[in-house]
Amino acid sequence: MGKTNSLQALLIILSVVTILQLVPVDGKWLLWRPNLLLLVMITWMFYFPDQYGIEFSVMLGVLADFVFGTNLGFYVLVFTLCGAVVALLHRVVAYLELIHQAVLVSLLVLAVECLKAWANIFLDKPVFWQHVPYIVLASLIFWLPLDRLVKTIYRWQRQ
Amino acid sequence: MLLLTLDSYTDWFKSSREQLTKIAYPLQVMANFPSRIVAWAELKTTSRKQLEQRANNLEKERLILLGKLQRSADLAAENLRLRQLLNATELLMDSVLVTEVIGVSPDPQNHRITIDRGAEDGVYVGQPVLDSTGLMGQVIVVYKNYSQVLLISDFNHALPVQVVRNGLRSIVEGVSDFNEMELGFVSPTVDIIIGDQLVSSGLGGRYPVGYPVGTVTQIDYQAGEKFMQVKVKPSAQLDRSRHLLLVFTLQNGVFNGQN
Repeated sequence: MGKTNSLQALLIILSVVTILQLVPVDGKWLLWRPNLLLLVMITWMFYFPDQYGIEFSVMLGVLADFVFGTNLGFYVLVFTLCGAVVALLHRVVAYLELIHQAVLVSLLVLAVECLKAWANIFLDKPVFWQHVPYIVLASLIFWLPLDRLVKTIYRWQRQ
Repeated sequence: MLLLTLDSYTDWFKSSREQLTKIAYPLQVMANFPSRIVAWAELKTTSRKQLEQRANNLEKERLILLGKLQRSADLAAENLRLRQLLNATELLMDSVLVTEVIGVSPDPQNHRITIDRGAEDGVYVGQPVLDSTGLMGQVIVVYKNYSQVLLISDFNHALPVQVVRNGLRSIVEGVSDFNEMELGFVSPTVDIIIGDQLVSSGLGGRYPVGYPVGTVTQIDYQAGEKFMQVKVKPSAQLDRSRHLLLVFTLQNGVFNGQN
């Protein structure tokens, strides 16, 4: 599997994830729903750091702004900063056990939620701190199968 | 940061955002498939006995509502006579159009929904939207065959209301919570109690008069503060209703939005 094929796989995953992100849910579940696009960005940048860098996180940030209907730049800022951290950490991640990777992803999601809260305060929007732990937990539950999937794609590409 | 500031305080990206929303419409329709499949599966797995039971219940409900409607027709006629006696300038009458929710904003801070009616159906910006229990919100963007609705619980939304019990006027504001809103600028000396029903006051000209908005659930006052904190539970099922009503208000003999 070459670079083109990994791009095709990424586009399919992004399409599915965008649809999943848009699926209507009840109000209480809406606050628990993880940011699936962010998780795809983190996982993909962990496995394909040479092909997908900061510019990839900027592009996904624009997509997220559009999907969530937020002000343009809101998720661009959040995704770019998160992408920069992932780009710095990717060499270390390769040597980590799954449990440590899970902790790292949880910390990244937590940092992103804090950043979002800060941006919301800046934009004079309400902030829901009480839901942050649930979002981190839900993100982890979604990240585990996503990680397996991207790992499989990565192995196919290496063969 | 620059993008964020520009998009927050200018309309420069509005048209490109609207174009992108049009492109994303098929995605939104696809995202709605799971709930449609669940509804279809529920219907297919319902037994004949359950359907008969449901039909009987609906028939009973219809009879009760028809009874109430006769009473309200009597009251409407009385209201008309009183208005004529008072030489009231304008009589508002409403017509409605049924619509279905086809999308919900995934961002918990933005309380917006997409409905399956657009400019082709005569929908217009600012049009009020109801569900079976109360006011839901207003149309903010209209496309050819779908529209976006801002819910009354959105933090950007404010709605003039009045208390049914004593006619007290106030403004109810959204706080981005589907189950809670706040009544703004309520003085501690004002006559308001828990359980008071709020209806739209019609001030501002956007929403018609008399539609249920919510019920007062909590009143807090801290000594020294200028205003009380009054919490309101919305009447409408803002995060659950799927079938809504678009209200066309008759003004000067013509329904708004319809030629």
